[in-house]
Amino acid sequence: MLLSITVLFRILSWLKTSLFLQDKYWCHFYIMFVAKSISSEHKDIIHDVSFDYHGTRMATCSSDHTVKVWDLEKGEWHCTASWKTHSGSVWRVTWAHPDFGQVLATCSFDRTAAVWEELSGDVGTKGGSSSNTWIKRTSLVDSRTSVTDVGFAPKHLGLQLATCSEDGIVRIYEAVDVMNLSNWQLQYEFNCNFKLSCLSWNTSRMHPPMIAVGSDEPSPAAGGKVQIYEYSETNRKWQKVEIIYTVTDPVHDVRFAPNMGRSYHLLAIASNDLVILTLKNLRKEGGNAGGPSRFEIRQTGSFDDHQSVVWRVSWNITGTILASSGDDGAVRLWKANYLDSWKCIAVLQSETYASDIEKTAFLAPSIASTPTPGSYR
Amino acid sequence: MAASTVDGEVEVFTLPFKKSRNLKLRSVWGMGKELYMFQSQIPHKEREESQRSSSESKIFDVQWNAEMHDIARKLVNETHNIFVILQGQVKSLSQSILYSQLRKASKQYRAVLKACSMELMQIADSCTDESKKLKYEEHIQEFEMVQLIWSLCEILFIDVAPGGLVLTSLLDWLQWHFQEGKQLATKVIHSDQPCEHPQYWEAIYRLLLQGDTENVRKLLALNVYSHSDSFIAADEVLKKMPRWTYQHAQSVAEYEMKWRHWREECVRRYEAAQFAAYPELETIVQVLCGDEAVFKDLKDCCETWYHLLVSKLLYQNPTCRIQDLTYEIKPCQAVYSNSSPQIQELDNILQAALEFDLHQVIKDSCTFLSNRSWWFVSHLADILHHCGQLDPQELPFGSNLREYLLLEYATSLMAHKSLYQVGIDYLDFCPVFGRSYIEAYVERIPLETERKAHKILHICLERDLLVQAQSICKVMGMKCLKQERFGSALSWFLKSKDATVIKQVTDRFLNEYCEEGKFSHLDLIDHLGPSMLITNSLTFLAKYREFHTFYNNGDVKGAVNLLLSLISSRLAPKFFWMTMLMDALPLLNLPEVVFNVSQTYELLHCLEELQRDGTSNYKNLKETEIEKLKLLRIALTRNLANAILQERSVRTVSIS
Repeated sequence: MLLSITVLFRILSWLKTSLFLQDKYWCHFYIMFVAKSISSEHKDIIHDVSFDYHGTRMATCSSDHTVKVWDLEKGEWHCTASWKTHSGSVWRVTWAHPDFGQVLATCSFDRTAAVWEELSGDVGTKGGSSSNTWIKRTSLVDSRTSVTDVGFAPKHLGLQLATCSEDGIVRIYEAVDVMNLSNWQLQYEFNCNFKLSCLSWNTSRMHPPMIAVGSDEPSPAAGGKVQIYEYSETNRKWQKVEIIYTVTDPVHDVRFAPNMGRSYHLLAIASNDLVILTLKNLRKEGGNAGGPSRFEIRQTGSFDDHQSVVWRVSWNITGTILASSGDDGAVRLWKANYLDSWKCIAVLQSETYASDIEKTAFLAPSIASTPTPGSYR
Repeated sequence: MAASTVDGEVEVFTLPFKKSRNLKLRSVWGMGKELYMFQSQIPHKEREESQRSSSESKIFDVQWNAEMHDIARKLVNETHNIFVILQGQVKSLSQSILYSQLRKASKQYRAVLKACSMELMQIADSCTDESKKLKYEEHIQEFEMVQLIWSLCEILFIDVAPGGLVLTSLLDWLQWHFQEGKQLATKVIHSDQPCEHPQYWEAIYRLLLQGDTENVRKLLALNVYSHSDSFIAADEVLKKMPRWTYQHAQSVAEYEMKWRHWREECVRRYEAAQFAAYPELETIVQVLCGDEAVFKDLKDCCETWYHLLVSKLLYQNPTCRIQDLTYEIKPCQAVYSNSSPQIQELDNILQAALEFDLHQVIKDSCTFLSNRSWWFVSHLADILHHCGQLDPQELPFGSNLREYLLLEYATSLMAHKSLYQVGIDYLDFCPVFGRSYIEAYVERIPLETERKAHKILHICLERDLLVQAQSICKVMGMKCLKQERFGSALSWFLKSKDATVIKQVTDRFLNEYCEEGKFSHLDLIDHLGPSMLITNSLTFLAKYREFHTFYNNGDVKGAVNLLLSLISSRLAPKFFWMTMLMDALPLLNLPEVVFNVSQTYELLHCLEELQRDGTSNYKNLKETEIEKLKLLRIALTRNLANAILQERSVRTVSIS
């Protein structure tokens, strides 16, 4: 399958300052952004893009009911598989840890979630052009409403998958045998009593299993729109440990930052504002099996820079930079300094003012250099 | 970037598509400094077919700061060595020796920086592509600035002159970074008529302001009037100018006295109008006298306020202490205030350094110089930290400033496809977060080749990261399994010691044996050693192979015993029982009886059990196999008969 990737343009983003040195010339410093455009070949809008642990494979899902898997070869993305996954829009796609092989989970408007595994293909025989086969290992059909998010548990918990749906129920499935992914058992389910839009596992190995869920229910009467659940070893069930009362607007995304040995947990919430919370466990991590954890919750940042709704949040590997996207059409990058104060460090946005004609003119040279189908760049 | 104090300094980057009301940008992190953006409709709503967007969705792969480490590869690699050696010394050396090592390291860093900068200059000179050239020049600029700041910090914080007399070092600093005067002088000397050269006097002034009296005298000697009294007088005072050096056993007071005498002589000669014939010579002597007004006139020869500051100190207060520098900043800046209204970042950093506000230096350098690389701030902060100049207290993020900066630098290295090993070495020296960072990264480094996987495995084992090591082996094993390379898969899984996955592979081996009658990875199975104890299935495989060896070597007794114990232990998967029974067949048909009665019963028992619960398997057997089973039954019965006979005969003999 061909993917024409064109280096559209390079922009030197103008940085802050010009500098007067040695009386001779002015010089400017730039942060260099380079953008590459990848034609997704999806026939409808994309809902989610997800990377595997090594960043060399990418999965995309779309309203066109399909999922596509892309492989990075020699710096270019090639679509190596594309298949119909659901009978409705596919909201999210996510990779399992590679310890378990090449495994994907998807969730959809069609009220199901599914687990997919890549079949052993003829690797090496045809090179990158071979189209790989993904087969459905299981369909998780317990939900009666649209399944809005799926997430694999951190690896140390084994092969577990959490789903959340509009009816407010979080379900946690576990693979009975990690070598045979067709057998999943519903281990736990709990009702959060509001329409759920997103969930996130805490990846900390030191803490008992923990999930944050968010609701996009519009009514503010429903109270805090983010809840935090924790698995209690003694009671053998998931318990609600916190409600974030400060967030009453609809929540569209929640993400725990990778823990990285911090003494607290970091949670990013996409609501009408971007909210960054720190959760400090009031008891020692690990030990003490009795009773749920209690947290000292502090709001380290609340930003209305998007000037409207924030839709998505995404952490980098070390949980030091957060990317948020919002209704203003821009993606903002946030970073904390050593005093732990969060600031916006960059804005990436779509062009607002360019007319169609200008845009065409701007893109024309690169369009001309787009390779014709059938050739690789 | 991180420690920005000034608000509103936000990068803005525009992507080449139009904003639309229904479609909004979303983003996902890739590896390192890479974001993937795509347009998406929000919120989640299933739409009518007719509403489908006509154009297909695009994904944008946005990367930044990707190239710095390619250009400065040498800088990264060579300073990496200096850094690692220094950290070792920090642990092992006593305080006083350590300080001299720190000074040495600081100079080494600067030397590498200088070398890289010169190399870049060469590349830039030979570069024909204009845009590339521009880029190189930007880097050179940055390198030059970093050197300027670093060497000033070295003078003020790292290699502090005894007694706090900084002027000599500051003069070196000037001469090192402001070479205009020297270059000009060379140009003048090599012209046909040096003293007629339009920049003859400028060259002299510039050299004078840097305290380079030797060369000033050389240039003056080239003047056509050099034999006039005025010139001789000027030469005399220049020659007599006292110099401060710590090498000569000279006390500060002694030097101060000498200097005062010399200056009085200058003033005296000047007032006696010894130089009045030549206004240029008068300017020179005015400088020597430390005349305030003349420095203002010569400000263009100083270029910057910090040059002027050092020049003025040289002729006005040569024994100034490090602490006195602060008071001189404002007046010198005031001289230049008209020509450049805004105070620049570099100026700010140098000013902060001269004011001993080290945190401000680092803060501003972060903001100003770390966009491309955290190299500068992280290495400087490391040295300053070990010198005891940085506050070692824990900051709100969880560790000290040194670690914060090292983490940033290491992170940028980890994002690079081939510098991860360097990055890990830096993380090793981050006491609080380093280990967690390494843990997070090693699991994410793409394992394209076996070699790379072994390398990363080694990194994990060296650091006792067992969970990650196991994960790498498992990932590699799964990859091999998917490619049906069972031998490699097994050897990776053996390293990960994971019983479930190993069983998966051994079953494949046994299957293969059932189908093809031979093992494909004999060497591996033969050399399992103690690792065969990891799981039963592996033990079985190894023992079964041992049975083959016995059999092939003609050790019938050993073979029989082993086979029987394998069968009776029930270690083998059911599908393999048939094969084992078949293995017994040739042994049963040997002329001598090798299975005694109870052993034969054991075999029969196994056959019965197989037939009883494995009927489904049994039905699928081919005709030849059913035939074989029949043969087996016959052989077993015959053996039983023979064995009974034999055992009874033995007993008969013993009775008789």
